[in-house]
Amino acid sequence: MSNELVLKIEGLRKLFPAERRIFSRTKYFVHAVDDISIEIKRRESLALVGESGCGKTTTGKVLVGLEEPTDGRITVEQEDVTPLLYENESSARRYIERNYVERFSKMDDQQLKTLDGVDGIYAERFLKLSKDGTKFISEFLENRRVRVWQLRRRVQMIFQDPYESLNPRMTIFDIVSEPLNIHEIGNLKEREDRVAEMLASVGLTPPETFMFRFPHELSGGQRQRVAIARALILNPSFVVADEPTSMLDVSIRTGVMKLMMRLADEHNMSYLYITHDLAVARYMSNNIAVMYLGKIVETGPTEEVLQNPLHPYTKALLAAVPIPDPEQKRGEPNIKGSVPKPINPPKRCRFFDRCPYAVEYCEKNDHPKLVEVLPNHKVACYVVSGETK
Amino acid sequence: MLLSVKDLKMHYKTKMGYVKAVDGINFDLDSGESLGIVGESGCGKTSISMTILRLLPDNAEFKAGSVFFDMGNGPIDLVKLDESQMRKYRWRGISMIFQAAMNSLNPVYKVGDQIIEAIQNHFPETPVDKAREKVAELFHLVGLDPSRMDQYPHQYSGGMKQRAVIAMALACDPKVIIADEPTTALDVIVQDRILKEIRKIQKKLNMAMIYISHDIAVIAEVSDRIAVMYAGKFAELADSVTIFKKPMHPYTYGLMHAFPSTVGEKTDLVTIPGEPPNLLNPPKGCRFAPRCPKADQTCINEEPQYIEIEKGHFVSCHHPVKPGEVVQFYEQ
Repeated sequence: MSNELVLKIEGLRKLFPAERRIFSRTKYFVHAVDDISIEIKRRESLALVGESGCGKTTTGKVLVGLEEPTDGRITVEQEDVTPLLYENESSARRYIERNYVERFSKMDDQQLKTLDGVDGIYAERFLKLSKDGTKFISEFLENRRVRVWQLRRRVQMIFQDPYESLNPRMTIFDIVSEPLNIHEIGNLKEREDRVAEMLASVGLTPPETFMFRFPHELSGGQRQRVAIARALILNPSFVVADEPTSMLDVSIRTGVMKLMMRLADEHNMSYLYITHDLAVARYMSNNIAVMYLGKIVETGPTEEVLQNPLHPYTKALLAAVPIPDPEQKRGEPNIKGSVPKPINPPKRCRFFDRCPYAVEYCEKNDHPKLVEVLPNHKVACYVVSGETK
Repeated sequence: MLLSVKDLKMHYKTKMGYVKAVDGINFDLDSGESLGIVGESGCGKTSISMTILRLLPDNAEFKAGSVFFDMGNGPIDLVKLDESQMRKYRWRGISMIFQAAMNSLNPVYKVGDQIIEAIQNHFPETPVDKAREKVAELFHLVGLDPSRMDQYPHQYSGGMKQRAVIAMALACDPKVIIADEPTTALDVIVQDRILKEIRKIQKKLNMAMIYISHDIAVIAEVSDRIAVMYAGKFAELADSVTIFKKPMHPYTYGLMHAFPSTVGEKTDLVTIPGEPPNLLNPPKGCRFAPRCPKADQTCINEEPQYIEIEKGHFVSCHHPVKPGEVVQFYEQ
């Protein structure tokens, strides 16, 4: 069980049109998330770090269904949930057609049987339906509405700003019990007990004194605790946490961080922890992925990446983080220029313009793939992986 | 002494009573020196700078204290000046880099013209071409291309706007610059460049700086001395190494151990229980007492004096933390 994958993202892309045209096709796209792959195991957390505009929040939004993916596959607990993330059924249908039916039709029975993982599960189903594409699609989309609901129980989100993510007209009880209402779980009495229990476990004790108050009566830290309670009341498998502590003061922040870690343990849950703060990421994650302009440039175990950064961007980012110790001097971040706009980026390493080590090879080739340089430590850089020689 | 603040008190009048935002602040500042004021949101750190510059909203009530400022012809109490006299000291004596600098530029005027306006406001006799020369010089100083003078703020990136605002603060050759959260909205790489730029300029012009921030790490990098503010008062003030290595106030101690770092050993972070007090009616005794593990009856009843325990090390605490002592903060 411990090695079970909760979330697997393969080749996720999200493009936004950069201009609106009436009569012709859009030519310019903002490549917010461009071909990223992530795996999160149960009880493990991944920190997605990067500067503003690197696509980390967009990734989170796609996962909870607030944005449609342009491309890529998202698997939650061995189930391909991508068709559930599309707003309308025809896009979902097209996705299945392209990703499964077309691919499977080209293979013979023997090949289909050798597929493993999620592909294997669907290949088996495909064979069972005697390779009937239409039947496969309709079975895939069976009860789509219901399954979208079920997905939302499993994937929850905690937002950055606790002052804006709670409805000011609702009481704390209404806010925390709303997911239970929507999913029609329990009767009023049971809901009350559940909410009280949840509030107590996020440190809002005694719960009775908080239940019928309004958000404006609470402080920032308490509000964020309410937001956490709301996200966890449905027992999700994983939670997308988008900078949940960046608005909180230092003395309160640690409490919320520790609370989130404890709850992850108690509820067997994983976080996708989105943050710009590398120091916070160090405390909140097992693994880390550093994003730059829609690409993951380096990923690996958090402590390993922070102590031994390999990608020039990660190095610069780490060198720029101020150290809370006046006696420690840090290095000079070795980086040129500023972040370019990710609109139709040229086919070369995204970091080329700013990289102090860039060579001709980096310009002539497409953005490098992630290569495992050290155990579990992957880097997308031709210079580091030694391909330039 | 360039700037000397004595027992400064300023309260905001609200329907529910007085919010004691600045409640007895004392500090001195020499030229060329930089003082960092660190504190959590709502502790009154921005209000201090607004009180010094007398840029207060209508509901603010100045209660007591004095701000002695020396421009080279003896100390003058800024508090006693009337508005027209005060104008001579603003920007020329003490200028300010405002919080959310990206929004403090006017979007419909060219950036260069806004700085020229600041110069001509304080030195009306300056001809435009002289002022333009000065702006070009300032742009150069803060690392902006002078040809961007005639562009509008929206054509600038976040870091560039920040640089422009710094150039504006420098426009009238001030003796003191108050930088209120100068890099809060910026990404770390840009923040690093801006902070280095400010320090370089400070050294070059031998200015005094007051940095205000909630980020201890930023304050640690730029300040010679650090004041830790809590609920309208200074809890502790000392040189930056002492604050980090030998904090005496339990609040400072807690903050230092609550702040995560990317370097060094991954230590267990401290949680300070509770919340900062409401400044409408702060606790009677020590304001930190309800959250302090060392607090006893004295702390609850009596307000501690802000005293100089060692040379240059001010603390207001009945039971200061001894060197090497481990303070256990209990979890909620």
